[in-house]
Amino acid sequence: MSSDVILVIVVGTALAFDFTNGFHDTANVVATSISTGAARPQVAIGIASLLNFVGAFISISVAATVANDVVDAAVITPTVVFAGLIGAIAWNLITWSFGLPSSSSHALIGGVVGSAVAAAGFDAVIGEGLVGKVLIPAVIAPILALLVAGVAIGLVYRIVGRQRPGMVTRGFRYGQLVSGGMLALAHGTNDAQKTMGVITLALIANGSLAPSSDPPLWVIASAAAAIALGTYSGGWRIIRTTGTRIIKMDAAQGFSAQGAGAAVILASTHFGFPLSTTHVINGGVMGAGAGKRVSAVRWGVAGNIVTAWLLTLPAAAAIGALAYGATSIFGSGALGPVLVTLASLSLIVAVFTQRSRRGAPVPAG
Amino acid sequence: MMAVLVETKELAQTIVASVVAGIGITVVFSIAIWGVGRYADFNRDERPLAAGAAAALAGGALVATLAAVVFGIVVMTSK
Repeated sequence: MSSDVILVIVVGTALAFDFTNGFHDTANVVATSISTGAARPQVAIGIASLLNFVGAFISISVAATVANDVVDAAVITPTVVFAGLIGAIAWNLITWSFGLPSSSSHALIGGVVGSAVAAAGFDAVIGEGLVGKVLIPAVIAPILALLVAGVAIGLVYRIVGRQRPGMVTRGFRYGQLVSGGMLALAHGTNDAQKTMGVITLALIANGSLAPSSDPPLWVIASAAAAIALGTYSGGWRIIRTTGTRIIKMDAAQGFSAQGAGAAVILASTHFGFPLSTTHVINGGVMGAGAGKRVSAVRWGVAGNIVTAWLLTLPAAAAIGALAYGATSIFGSGALGPVLVTLASLSLIVAVFTQRSRRGAPVPAG
Repeated sequence: MMAVLVETKELAQTIVASVVAGIGITVVFSIAIWGVGRYADFNRDERPLAAGAAAALAGGALVATLAAVVFGIVVMTSK
């Protein structure tokens, strides 16, 4: 009975994380389309939400990696997964509060790894999976997106450089409707799967699913709905950072950045790499900016984002470990997760209240 | 040691697919835009043959762009 209560809390927390993931990452998906004028904000966000929902259904490779290749499911309990989720949500909210587009994916994996280490020591971590499937792709993917976008925009300017600017801009704005859609689809398929993987991990740990099982349909559908709702709710604070503060983009740059981002994310998803969509899309944006003119990129802002990236895994791991420690004080029953959930909700309300007093996020439109 | 940790083949395939798709689609779509622009120019200069060729190039590039997008989705869903 107690373990079932914990499982329900874990599933609820995972879906809440998925919602914050969509909320946090809306900017990644729509900022380039909005900043170049390719789509109105509400239209871009509506389409992105729908395609995030659809994207969640098209693959389960990443979910399998998160459920089976990062931590040892045999030593994981639902409480460990719960604490990991708290670490990830807390870090997401901290970075949202400062308007930094850090990685929800790395926050999730960091949180789970931190709580697993706190619960069962370093043996609980599958080093090969963590390094080979998470850390190395995490380094390569944004650099790859940067290079692809940089080369692509260079070739674009060679091809259409002598055309009338108005016609070129109009053409690439139409193109961005497709490239932005692909990016939303890619985001849904890679990011929603991480939540599916975590819920599957909790179900396996609880004995509700056999080891190495695929996510059940209800897990896929609920994760898809949560990320789509989160995306629709949007994070205007980060949209402003990604869309206008890294570089001022033209439509061709937006198309190149989105095309590079979608290509890298979809290819990685196909092979089950749970990479950070945030890192990839920002890499694409920087590449598209630097491909035109290196000084076009506001490297100070880019530096802040890189700092948040570097901090994400260890910070979320530390919060996850602390959350596990706090939960364990109350024994192995449901009391610990219930109290930590209430404390977390209080903190979230406090953060939002403080933020709304200091000034609301950048408004839509 | 690194070869054991890193899934070299899958990583290499990811890189190749990303480069080909990311650069390829952008370039092909740019050719479509170039074709549309040239079509308008040739039409204005009353050069129907050249305008037709530019329109055909633009149409072909546009179809190729959409085909690449559809192919990408099919590959994704086939695993």
